[in-house]
Amino acid sequence: MPVYNLYMGCSVPANYPNYEAAMMKVAEALGMEFEYMPDVACCGSPNLRAIDYFGWLVVNGRTLAIAEKNGHDILTPCNGCFGSLKDVQHHLKHDSEDRARVNKELRKHDLEFKGTIKVRHLVEAIYTDIGPDEIRRKITKPLDGVGIAIHYGCHLLRPADVTEFKPEMLEELVRATGAKVVEYPLWKQCCGATILPVNEPLAIRLARDKIRSMKEAGAEYATVVCPACGNQLDLQQLGLKESYGEVYDLPVLLYPQILALALGIGEDAVGLRMNRVAADSILGHLKG
Amino acid sequence: MAESKQTSGKPMTLVDPIDMSLLDAKFRDDIKSMPDGEELSACFACSTCTAACPIANQWTYKPHQLIRMILLGMREEVLSGKEIWECLTCFQCQERCPQKVRITDIFFDCKNLAAESGKVPEKVLAIAKELIDKGQLYVVTSDWEREDLGLEAAVPGLSTDGIRAILKETRTGRLVKGGE
Ligand code: SF4
Ligand code: SF4
Repeated sequence: MPVYNLYMGCSVPANYPNYEAAMMKVAEALGMEFEYMPDVACCGSPNLRAIDYFGWLVVNGRTLAIAEKNGHDILTPCNGCFGSLKDVQHHLKHDSEDRARVNKELRKHDLEFKGTIKVRHLVEAIYTDIGPDEIRRKITKPLDGVGIAIHYGCHLLRPADVTEFKPEMLEELVRATGAKVVEYPLWKQCCGATILPVNEPLAIRLARDKIRSMKEAGAEYATVVCPACGNQLDLQQLGLKESYGEVYDLPVLLYPQILALALGIGEDAVGLRMNRVAADSILGHLKG
Repeated sequence: MAESKQTSGKPMTLVDPIDMSLLDAKFRDDIKSMPDGEELSACFACSTCTAACPIANQWTYKPHQLIRMILLGMREEVLSGKEIWECLTCFQCQERCPQKVRITDIFFDCKNLAAESGKVPEKVLAIAKELIDKGQLYVVTSDWEREDLGLEAAVPGLSTDGIRAILKETRTGRLVKGGE
């Protein structure tokens, strides 16, 4: 059974315990062992990278060094954490000067970054280590071909030379549940989360563009794999009523929620009631 | 056929002329020496980055202009503008650049240079303060929700001591102290 160092970051446990619960259930069903990492907290987010590049390198270098101690890959369900860890790992592997500077700090805490493990996003690990075929074999309640739009999130896809993620991975994982993947023109576009602190109206407009694009393409549901994207696409729909007087009613599910339901896991166990736009209609699309 | 109107006064220009005496050639070198600046001078001003940018239409200076401004040495205009802070960090420009200029990454480097001279938007500074005080941006408040879902009330393994100790000693700590 593959074992992973589970790095939750701060947003999922605080804002999306339904994401956390669903991924733990999925792991159990698929035979993946997630071990919560000791002594870690937040990755600092792109905001930390913006104001304090070196601090960001040390914080994430430390997390990577802790994970290296037991040799298991580090896995996270958050695109923000994934982007930070992947980018820092990439940079420290290629820049020996910065690696030396970071390790000088880490040695004070008996740690050293060596770059010996991989950084994995939850969905990439499910795709690579379990795979769509195995998932299909385990599914007991496949979806009935209902149309789902995927929002990948910028920091999962780009920069591709750093993230090494391919959109086909999540596409195939959604299809494996029996759902249809709905393509839409703005699939690559940002949800707007990162600029909430500096320009909220613009952030809201970006979320709106995205949701409209999904709806217009005929999506009945959307799926995300990041808490920040979840905020923008699910929670923000409530805000859109206020700021634009528009109601979209597009339920947004975290991918492991969809997968868990198809694996026969109950809706309460994946916290379906916590989704902001009511998502329980998805239960009517489960066969078997 | 419509006749063109006679206009008087100064001819219209698309951009204001650049005051050469205000250019700071060291700016380009600063960016080049930073982690992502290597390919900076490969830019051939094709504007593909701007075409890829979902918010460039909101900006006075578009991504391709910002890159040109860095090359020219327009330090003040780039580092004091709102553009670098409004950048979504979506990497769409960088993904499409035919010359492999790491545009988004370079804007991160610009923000670091701005931060070094204390120029950080208030709400971003507030985020820095959260990291120093609490060691995380979100803190679990509804632990009953977690328990309802069969999760432990407190996140297993969570400890904010490490990140707080690190950031107190780096620029984050200095910025927060300076802002108090
Ligand atoms: S896409 Fe690249 S080469 Fe073209 S203008 Fe932008 S930075 Fe320059
Ligand atoms: S990373 Fe910034 S500059 Fe580049 S396309 Fe996105 S918002 Fe525009």
